[in-house]
Amino acid sequence: MKIVVCIKQVPETNDVTIDPVTHNLDRRGLAGVMNPFDKNAVEQALQLKDADKDAEVVLLSMGPDDYAESLREGMAMGADAGVLLSDRAFAGADTLATGYVIAQAIKQIGNVDLVLFGRQAVDADTGQVGPIVAEFLHQPQITYAASLRLSGTNEVTAERLLEDTKQTLVATLPAVVSVRSELNTPRYPTPRNIQLSFAKPLTVWHHDDLDLDDSRLGQAGSPTIVTKVYAPEPVKRELTPLTGTPTEAANQLITALKNRQLI
Amino acid sequence: MSKPELWVIAERRLDHVEPTTQQLITKAKHLAGDHFKVITILLEATADHLENELTAYGPDEIRIVRDDRFPTATDAEHADALKQLVDDYQPNSILFGATITGRSIAPRLQAKLQTGLTADCLDLRFDDDTLVATKPSYGDNIMCEIICPDHRPQMASVRPNTFVATPAPGDAKITTATVTVHPVDRLNLTTARPVVNTATTVGDANRVVALGRGAASAATIDTATKLAEKLGGRIGVSRPLTDQDRFTHDDQIGQSGNTIHPELILNFGISGAVQYLVGMQDSQTIVAVNADAQAPIFDVADYGYVGDAQAFMSALLAQFN
Repeated sequence: MKIVVCIKQVPETNDVTIDPVTHNLDRRGLAGVMNPFDKNAVEQALQLKDADKDAEVVLLSMGPDDYAESLREGMAMGADAGVLLSDRAFAGADTLATGYVIAQAIKQIGNVDLVLFGRQAVDADTGQVGPIVAEFLHQPQITYAASLRLSGTNEVTAERLLEDTKQTLVATLPAVVSVRSELNTPRYPTPRNIQLSFAKPLTVWHHDDLDLDDSRLGQAGSPTIVTKVYAPEPVKRELTPLTGTPTEAANQLITALKNRQLI
Repeated sequence: MSKPELWVIAERRLDHVEPTTQQLITKAKHLAGDHFKVITILLEATADHLENELTAYGPDEIRIVRDDRFPTATDAEHADALKQLVDDYQPNSILFGATITGRSIAPRLQAKLQTGLTADCLDLRFDDDTLVATKPSYGDNIMCEIICPDHRPQMASVRPNTFVATPAPGDAKITTATVTVHPVDRLNLTTARPVVNTATTVGDANRVVALGRGAASAATIDTATKLAEKLGGRIGVSRPLTDQDRFTHDDQIGQSGNTIHPELILNFGISGAVQYLVGMQDSQTIVAVNADAQAPIFDVADYGYVGDAQAFMSALLAQFN
């Protein structure tokens, strides 16, 4: 069984700011890490591998060369190999153009039984690429899986949790599944697995390594354009300071809340 | 060339319409002006009459496709049916609720249509016939305006409860359309049952005692619990405290979910990240206690105390006792 887990590298923190002059997102100095939700997908793949020693787990990511970092992180958790899709031609892609390249890479990897995604990336928060890839591969999709198990030689069963409904879905492989974070607790890389991971293959595929229609790549292949990026401005209020010792200040607050008929 | 139709895709939730659908109809009517017709697309079983839950909100038309397979159809089957309708009618724009179902079907349809989709929007407007969608990113810290200038239809999913559904006059024309259902035999929905969710969220509380990194000790949480009881309220937390086992997403204020507006919120040890402030700024009375006089939380508070959260909380609780 061959499992591909699609992962994204994201900034270590969401506390990003807008450059006041250029109005661009200021991501300087932010280290990249594996999208936390993607670790649940890696963990799910590794649990399937724990149950079937012949299973192979391949991590797939698209981004600049430093995205190799999060692929290494996933290989240290126990994945067998990593593939990074890196080319200037892929830059500026929205979800549609990203999904296209990922789907083409999955075809290139070949004989993939199961493609796993995390529920969404914590930076862009779209959760769109999984269903897009499923559509481009013409495969069934199960999104927001709360559990996933092999239920036959060529079949997975998942529970899918909607807002107030629990569904059971049975898919014949190959299929695409995105997982919820409640599904599992991702394992930490052990020192031994970190050691072993350095011997595992990390392949970089560029534009010419894939079968691609250039009109569907990067900015040219992206229907959407971001026209404005801004920080939401909280509405300021006039502050009445509470002063003195904690007891004095608490008394002032009690008086104020009584005046507002809140107590 | 697309037609001036603005579509709202109705979502089924068990035997009813999911409430985001009505919210989107109201918003779509505001957006439409004289230029667009608001069309609600409803896929339902032959015996269903979910349109009865929609007419009061005044869409120009409710376009119904009936097939007994829809209630248990999978994402791909829904997307396939919608693709056929888009090909037949060529709408300008399509709105989905950013529910789990909406966020699963919409991108699948997007891929079929090879057009743009903006997810989880918090606002929408039209510049001529271009839809401008406002989408949060980086955990609601950043807002982006996104357009899809050259492809039609334009697609967006909208976060539930972003807009308020308002009944409106108008005779919704009921029409029917047909599609060919192509069942996907490689995926089957075998069971679906309601999950009774009795847990209240911090969004339901009218008084909130909110705790952040500066009020995270067991003793402080204990005092805060007593204070919340005295106020007839509930504890809420900022993101750092969700790492503690006793707090979950239901307790979290701000960021992807719990936007709250209680009549009183007491913030202890919360400095005030942007998404937190935006998530609670519509509260009627805001009190902040923080050791750092420069903390942004004081900018949006009505009453503020610079000092130790635990000491102030204990003093306040003593007053109540």
